[in-house]
Amino acid sequence: MSGMPPELPTRRDEAWRWADLRHAERFLGTPPPANDALPETDRLWLDLAGPRALFVAGQPVGATAQAPAPDRGMPRHPLADLAAANASAGTRLEVAAGEDAGLVQLLHIGRGGAAHGVTRVVLGAGARLTLVESFADEGQDHWLNHRLDAELGAGATLVRVSRALAGRGLVSDRAAVRMGAESRLAHLSLGLAAGALRTEVEVLLDGPGAHADVDGILLGDGGAALDSLTRLDHRVPGTSSRQRWRLVAGGTAQASIAGGVAVARHAQKTDAEQSLKALLLQRTAVVHLKPELEIFADDVACAHGCTVGELDRAALFYLATRGVPPAEAEALLTLAFVADALAGLPEGALRDALDAETRDWLVRRTGGAAA
Amino acid sequence: MLEIASLHVTVDGREILRGLTLSVLPGEVHAIMGPNGAGKSTLAHVLAGREGYDVTEGTARLDGADLLAMSPDARAAAGLFLGLQYPVEIPGVSNLLFLRTALNAQRRARGEPEISGADFMARVRAEARALGLDLEMLKRGVNVGFSGGEKKRNEAFQLAMLQPRLAILDESDSGLDIDALKVVAAAINRFMSPDRAVLLITHYQRLLDHVRPTHVHVLVDGRIVESGGPELALRLEQEGYERHAA
Repeated sequence: MSGMPPELPTRRDEAWRWADLRHAERFLGTPPPANDALPETDRLWLDLAGPRALFVAGQPVGATAQAPAPDRGMPRHPLADLAAANASAGTRLEVAAGEDAGLVQLLHIGRGGAAHGVTRVVLGAGARLTLVESFADEGQDHWLNHRLDAELGAGATLVRVSRALAGRGLVSDRAAVRMGAESRLAHLSLGLAAGALRTEVEVLLDGPGAHADVDGILLGDGGAALDSLTRLDHRVPGTSSRQRWRLVAGGTAQASIAGGVAVARHAQKTDAEQSLKALLLQRTAVVHLKPELEIFADDVACAHGCTVGELDRAALFYLATRGVPPAEAEALLTLAFVADALAGLPEGALRDALDAETRDWLVRRTGGAAA
Repeated sequence: MLEIASLHVTVDGREILRGLTLSVLPGEVHAIMGPNGAGKSTLAHVLAGREGYDVTEGTARLDGADLLAMSPDARAAAGLFLGLQYPVEIPGVSNLLFLRTALNAQRRARGEPEISGADFMARVRAEARALGLDLEMLKRGVNVGFSGGEKKRNEAFQLAMLQPRLAILDESDSGLDIDALKVVAAAINRFMSPDRAVLLITHYQRLLDHVRPTHVHVLVDGRIVESGGPELALRLEQEGYERHAA
């Protein structure tokens, strides 16, 4: 990096008011220390077939992987721009028209300092790709700053899971997706007790008939700070989107979602649905839900709902009378609460694996036995 | 099997049970009858361990063990079942997952192996058929979208699946039409055996036409004021509880 370090957003910016960027401030301009040891990654991959690539502190392990040029047509963004400027490696996934690239997993491990990464996806007409990007660490403080740029041709389908497993550091992941006519996006942000997480999804629905499911499950415990922001930008007539976010916070965790929907003046027949729900496991935890709707067209359907609640005590007692111990009952009810955020993913092995992972996390959190 | 001695219970600072004593032996079916507000549901809930029910005096033992010292789930694992008057709806948790989780939790607590998926489903099919419950319905959320009668059938289904030692059934007959009443009654009769017992809490005689009690008790103002055989229920049906009024 040369010249003055770039400025990070602060909490005075409305879009960053709940973000915890302390790790970013601390590590901005600090590269990770040299360390050639290979991390233990077995438990971090989803047990699914398909190509895998591992990045440790921003560097590829095994093959070399030059950082792809970012998509200059995407909106400017302070952290995504920083990733583009500083990433020394990354992944470009280009799928030719009509091809199905199956499932690809990229695993990013943070290891002290700041590491930047870029993934660029280009899907031709009718092409398909499922991409699972996971972020984890080895218990050290760090900052993993990642950017995904995706361009979906007509009729293309992208399934992407942004899976944050980091325990100590900050993961900031921003996905920007431009969608062609009749294309499909299913995006899931999964935050499992990350120390600090900022997950953003911005979707430009540029082609008629495009449909995006942008869902999230944030499970925070201890002192986790999980922050998310979406913007579904309906820019042409006849597009649709659905957002389902389920936030669960225990301990002194903070979880937040600012769920945005924008409908341009001429984008008639937009059908946008948004459901933001939070569950407080303890009253020491904090959740923020902020629906943001900017609708400039008149012939549109934009439904939104927002609720914060606690576990149903009558249901907990009912489970207890049937012999289910409190920890297991809590996990079961919490899993039921988050389950519909998985519904945007296609049925099959990936969804089952994430469902099982969510269940395991909840059961571990409560110290109960598996159902 | 169940020994309750001089049980005093307060709810929100108000004494509801005032020295209730009751003994239930294996093979017995006890009916507890009484007017509204007598403490019938309080008895059911305090035995199951619901929070907010404070025992100020007395004891309750199940097979010699101190029931009141156990958590609600431990009571269930020890063989106690509470059929609720108002079964709870749990969206997002299917009836089958609920039941399998419960069954395996109880088995683990007793040091028994978990039930296999095949054995579980075979039992589900047999018991659901007997209770006229549709298997598709059981794949939906617990009690979600169930009519009042279906919820009570579902309680009877859970009773059949969990096979407790002692079933406390709180107003299992309320909200049932005559056909559903017969189905639930048949389930209770199928459940009964020489080493099990039932405590039926009811307002009315009509369930007792189908489940014959060995003992009938009248609960008024938190105490059992009269006990007898099945003939007592018939007399109450005719005379009401007036003669027991304080």
